[in-house]
Amino acid sequence: MKTWRIAGLVAVPFVLAALAIGIFLFAQQGGLAPYRLPVDDGRVVAGDAATLRRGEYLARIGDCAACHTARGGAAYAGGRGFATGRGVIYSSNLTPDREHGIGAWSIAEFAHAMRHGVSRRGPLYPVFPYEYFATLADADIDAIYAYLRSLPASANVPPPNRLDFPANLRPALVLWRMLHYRPAPAAATDDNRGRYLVDGLGHCAMCHSEREPGGALASGGHLAGGRIPGSGWYAPPLDAKQLQRYPVEQLAAYLRSGTSDHGAAYGPMAEVVYRSLQALREDDAIAIARYLKSIPARRAREAAFTLLPEPQRQPEVAGDGAEIYRHACADCHGNDGEGKSGRYPALRDAVAAIAPDPINAVRMVLYGGFAVTTAGNPAPYSMPPFVQQLSSAQIAAVTNYVRENFGAQRSRLTAADIEAMHGIVLD
Amino acid sequence: MLRATLLVLLLALASPARADDSADFGERLAACAACHGQHGEGVRGAEYYPHLAGKPAGYLFEQLKGFRDGRRASTSMTWYVRFADDAFLQRIAQWYAELPPRTRGADTGAAELTAERRRVAQNLVEHGDPARDLPACSSCHGANLAGLEPGVPALLGLPADYVIAQFGAWREGVRNGAPPDCMHDIAGRIAADDMRAIAVYLSQQSNVDGLRPAPAASFLPPRACGSLPHAQVAK
Ligand code: HEC
Ligand code: HEC
Ligand code: HEC
Ligand code: HEC
Ligand code: HEC
Repeated sequence: MKTWRIAGLVAVPFVLAALAIGIFLFAQQGGLAPYRLPVDDGRVVAGDAATLRRGEYLARIGDCAACHTARGGAAYAGGRGFATGRGVIYSSNLTPDREHGIGAWSIAEFAHAMRHGVSRRGPLYPVFPYEYFATLADADIDAIYAYLRSLPASANVPPPNRLDFPANLRPALVLWRMLHYRPAPAAATDDNRGRYLVDGLGHCAMCHSEREPGGALASGGHLAGGRIPGSGWYAPPLDAKQLQRYPVEQLAAYLRSGTSDHGAAYGPMAEVVYRSLQALREDDAIAIARYLKSIPARRAREAAFTLLPEPQRQPEVAGDGAEIYRHACADCHGNDGEGKSGRYPALRDAVAAIAPDPINAVRMVLYGGFAVTTAGNPAPYSMPPFVQQLSSAQIAAVTNYVRENFGAQRSRLTAADIEAMHGIVLD
Repeated sequence: MLRATLLVLLLALASPARADDSADFGERLAACAACHGQHGEGVRGAEYYPHLAGKPAGYLFEQLKGFRDGRRASTSMTWYVRFADDAFLQRIAQWYAELPPRTRGADTGAAELTAERRRVAQNLVEHGDPARDLPACSSCHGANLAGLEPGVPALLGLPADYVIAQFGAWREGVRNGAPPDCMHDIAGRIAADDMRAIAVYLSQQSNVDGLRPAPAASFLPPRACGSLPHAQVAK
C-alpha cells in the first residue's frame, strides 16, 4: 500500500510534464479553434460568370478535380482512393448534393475546412492538402466555392476508408496534428504570385519535399526533394540549383506542356501537368518559374535511398552498360545523352540521372512510358518498356551507366535491385 | 503537257510528304511496337498480346478510351494511355487501322482440338446455337470473320489465351463495351469448354488474303450493339 503511494508521488512530476507537453503540442496545432465549426453567418457568395470562370481556373490549378474524381466517375463526385502507409483513404463528394456532397455547407464551413482541415465529419486526413490551402486569399476560396456550387449535383457515396487501427479513427488525427501539423500564418499577402501558387493552391511541396521515414515533413525539407510516400517515385528539389538548366521561359513552358529539352514530365508529375498545370495562364506559369528559380538550394541531406529492404553485401554488376546504351537507348537519347529536341528528353542532367534516388530511372527503363498529351505537345513520343527485352543484370548495368555518365551519381544497382522493382503497381 | 508535268510535280511534292508524315507518326509509337509489333502486326511468339493492324479505327479508339477511363482493365495498357486526350488516341487508332491487316494465324501452337471439338467450335462460330439464343459469331464479325466497320474487329489471328481472357473479362464486368454491350450478353451464353474450343479454333484461322473489315452497314447484325450505330435498331 505504502509503496504504491510513494510510487504515485514519484510519478506525479512525470504525469504533469506529459500533460504540459500535451497542452503545448495541442496549442501548437492551433488549440481548440480548429474543432469549433463556424455557424452560418448568412453571407452569400456571388455566382456571376466572371467569378465562376475564376473559380474553375483556381480549382484546376489546385488539382481539386484530379483528387475528387474517381476514374471514369462523375467530375468532383469523389471516390478516388489514395494508398497511404496505413491503408486507403477515399476523397469526398464536392458536388452540391445536399446529402452526399457539400450542398448544405455555408461558405464559412467550406472556408473552415480549407483553412483548418476540419469539417462536419471531424478532422480530415492530410491527404487533403489543407496545410497548403490555408494560405488562400478569401476571394479565391469564395470563387472556388461558387464554382463547386455551380456543378451538377451527384449523389455518389465514396467507398468507406480502409485503414488500420488507430488511423481509422478520426479523433486519432488530433494526435497526428499535435505531432506534425503547424497552422500556416494567416492568409498570404499576394505580393509574390509565384510563391502564392506554389506553396498554396499548387501544393507542390506535398510531393517535392523531404520526408522523415514516417512520412512527416522533415525540418527544413520544404521543396528539398524526396521519395513520395505511398507512390514510390522520387520528386526532385525545386530550387535555383536543380532548375538552373532551364531558362525561365523554358521552365514555364515545361509546366504547361510537360515537355522540354531537359526533361519530360512522367509518373505523378505527368498527372499534375495533364490534369492541372496545362491550364496555367502564361503569366502564372512565368511567375511560378521565376519563384522556383529564386529558391536557394538547401544542403542535400545524406539520405540513403535503397530499392531493397536489405542492401546486398556483395554488389555485383554484370554487363557492359555503355554497350547496352549504344544499342538500346542512343537512337532516341543520343550518344552523349543529349536527347533529340522536340522528341526525346536529354538524359544528361535529367531528374532520373542526377537524383540521389535511382527509383525513377529503374522504373522508366523497366516500363517506359508515353509523354503526356497537352496543347503544347499534342502528339507526344514514347519510350518502350525494356522489362522483356533486357535481363535484370543488363537493366542494372545500363541504368548505372546513365546515372554515372549523365548524372555524376555513384550508381551500383544490381540485378536484385531491379527484380525488387518488378511487378510494382504503376501509379 | 504542262498539265501533266504539273501533276507529276504535285504528286512528287505531295506523296513523300504524306509518307513521311505517317512514318513520322509511327515513330511516336515506339512503346506500342514493343508489345504489338512495329506495324501493329503483333510480336512473334507472343502468347497473349493482340495485333492491332487493320482493325476498324472506331473499334481501336473505343478500346484505347476504355483503358484510359477504366471501362477495360489492363495495368500495362492503362500506363501508356492514361494521360492521352481523345484527339491523340483517335490519331493512333487511325494509324493502326490503315496498316495492312495481319495475315498470319496466331503464333502460339495452341492445344490441338479433337475432330469432335473442332466441329462444335466451327458450328458455334458459323451458326450459333438457337437453343441458347446464341447468334453465330459470323453474323456480326462477318462470314469471313474479317469484321465490320466501325465497331466489330476481325476474329482472325488472335492468340487463344487472349480470346479466353476477353470472354472472362466480359463476364466479370472488367471489359465493358458501349451499351448495349452485345459481347457481354454473348459471353454469358457460352459454356466454358465450348469457349476454349472456339478460342483455339479461332487462333488457327488466318487472314491469308489480307481482308479488311466489311464497310459500315454492309450487313445487319442480329442484335443491337452500342458500337454499331446502324445496328441500334436491329431486332
Ligand atoms: C491530393 C489529393 C487532393 C487534392 C489535390 C484536393 N483534395 Fe480535397 N480531399 C482529398 C481527400 C482524400 C479528402 C477526404 C479527407 C478525409 O476523408 O478526411 C478531401 C476532402 C476535402 C474536403 C472535405 C469534404 C468533407 O466532406 O469533409 C473539402 C471541402 C475538399 N477536400 C476540398 C478540396 C478543394 C476545394 C480542392 C482544390 C483546391 C481539393 N480539395 C484538393 C484529397 C484532395
Ligand atoms: C503528385 C506529386 C507531385 C506534385 C503535386 C508536383 N510534382 Fe513536380 N514532380 C513530381 C515528380 C515525381 C517529378 C520527377 C519526375 C519528372 O521529372 O517528371 C517532378 C518533377 C518536376 C519538375 C522537373 C524538375 C527538373 O529538374 O526537371 C518540375 C519543374 C516540377 N516537378 C514542378 C512542380 C510544380 C511547380 C508543382 C506544383 C504546381 C509540382 N511539381 C507538383 C511530382 C509532383
Ligand atoms: C524510342 C525512343 C526511346 C528509347 C529507345 C529509349 N527512350 Fe528513354 N525516354 C524516351 C521518352 C519519349 C521519354 C519520356 C517519357 C515520358 O515522358 O513518359 C524517355 C524518358 C527516359 C528517362 C527519364 C528521364 C528524366 O527526365 O528523368 C530515362 C532515365 C530514360 N528514358 C532512359 C532510357 C534508357 C536507359 C534507355 C535504353 C535502355 C532508353 N531510355 C531508351 C524515349 C526513348
Ligand atoms: C507492355 C506491353 C504493352 C505495351 C507497351 C502496349 N500494349 Fe496495348 N495491349 C497489351 C495487352 C496485354 C493488351 C490486352 C489487354 C487485355 O488483356 O485485354 C493490349 C491491348 C491493346 C489494344 C486492344 C486490342 C483489341 O483488339 O481489343 C489496343 C488498341 C492497344 N493495346 C494499343 C496499344 C497502344 C496504342 C500502345 C502504345 C501507346 C500499346 N498498346 C502499348 C500490352 C501492351
Ligand atoms: C451481336 C453482334 C456480335 C456477335 C453475335 C458476336 N460478336 Fe464478338 N464483338 C462484337 C462487337 C460489337 C465487338 C466489339 C466489342 C467492344 O467494342 O467492346 C466484338 C468483339 C469481340 C472480340 C474482341 C476482339 C479483340 O480484338 O479484342 C472477340 C474475341 C469476339 N468479339 C468474339 C466473338 C465470338 C467468339 C463470337 C461468337 C461466339 C462473337 N464474338 C459474336 C459483336 C458481336
